[in-house]
Amino acid sequence: MSHQYQAISWNRQKRFYDLTIIAGVVIYVALFVGLSAFLFPYATAETMLIRATGSAAFLLLHVVLCIGPLCRLDSRFLPLLYNRRHLGVITFLLGAFHGVFAVIQFHSLGDKDPLVSLLTSNQNFRSLPDFPFQQLGFFALLILFLMATTSHDFWLTNLTPPVWKSLHMLVYVAYALLIGHVTLGVLQSETSPVFVIATGVGLATVLGLHIAAARRERKVDAMKLNTVPHGFVDACAVDSIPEKCAEVCSVNGERVAIFKYDGKISAISNVCRHQNGPLGEGRIIDGCVTCPWHGYQYLPDTGASPPPFTEKVSTFQTKIVDGRVWIDPRPNPPGTRVEPSPIQASEMHV
Amino acid sequence: MIQPLRMMHRAIFLVLAVLLPVLFLSGIAFRHSWPTAKPEHAKASQSPPPGTPP
Repeated sequence: MSHQYQAISWNRQKRFYDLTIIAGVVIYVALFVGLSAFLFPYATAETMLIRATGSAAFLLLHVVLCIGPLCRLDSRFLPLLYNRRHLGVITFLLGAFHGVFAVIQFHSLGDKDPLVSLLTSNQNFRSLPDFPFQQLGFFALLILFLMATTSHDFWLTNLTPPVWKSLHMLVYVAYALLIGHVTLGVLQSETSPVFVIATGVGLATVLGLHIAAARRERKVDAMKLNTVPHGFVDACAVDSIPEKCAEVCSVNGERVAIFKYDGKISAISNVCRHQNGPLGEGRIIDGCVTCPWHGYQYLPDTGASPPPFTEKVSTFQTKIVDGRVWIDPRPNPPGTRVEPSPIQASEMHV
Repeated sequence: MIQPLRMMHRAIFLVLAVLLPVLFLSGIAFRHSWPTAKPEHAKASQSPPPGTPP
């Protein structure tokens, strides 16, 4: 957590995650180069490496973009989210390798500066098949560089999660640029339908998963809650909350996680202070609400992280009437203790 | 706090869901048609011009 900055705190899971990614990339590049050498013996080693690393980066970016919606649709994918940033950094490194080698091969032999050559040699902006696709890749790589360099928690803390999140949403701009880079680049010269189909399937998968996840999220936000004159809203039934887990409801556009634990009910903001992770999809472990994304913890009655950590989220007043949980939609200041509502025996139907 | 971010995320994806398929399909539809070489067997099966000795 944020008690002190550490360069990288490695653990067994991170090592396994990173080794798996690196092994996967090495196998992919080796297979790509081996197959290319067999099928296209006239291709140079530089060309094969440029294509292998470029396609690996493009493929990894698809994986990165699919992890978020997959986790929203099915919690079994959550382990992939834990080190998603490592995947992003490796995507950038592969893209950088591809970009540097391409600039050396195609722009370094003339009398112009390679970067000037990259940005000015093709200016057919009005022609789709002759569009300067390399420039699209260059700007996508710049975005990936910006994201990779700010991926550490140091930047997350100093920029604040909303700013950091907004910055990292540029990944969608990078993705759009790369779809243009591939479609107007390699797909213009490759006549094999395999590349077109693979790119189309990748694009459809990313868009389809995001649309499916957005539809599901929208249902939660669109939920209309009953309100009574003294301001409390009817959030959910006590029985609908699994033990040591939460039910999430939307109040005034913001989500509230209502936890049931040890015969009590507490409500806190659903938004983790670390990366805005969904606390309501986490569990209570060792008496603390534990974020499913990176394990940040909060006490359910105060919304504060246990000492020495300092993160705090808002809490909400709760009460239980006829087996239903009612919450006050006005959030308390982060870290404010709220007495948990006891669940009477008559309201428990386990 | 997070609602504006969520709205922005949805808006971005709405735009991409329209823009990217259009870009992709247009790029494929308008790509160059590259000349292809005739296969060898086609050349071999051509009938000789009239008047050519067998």
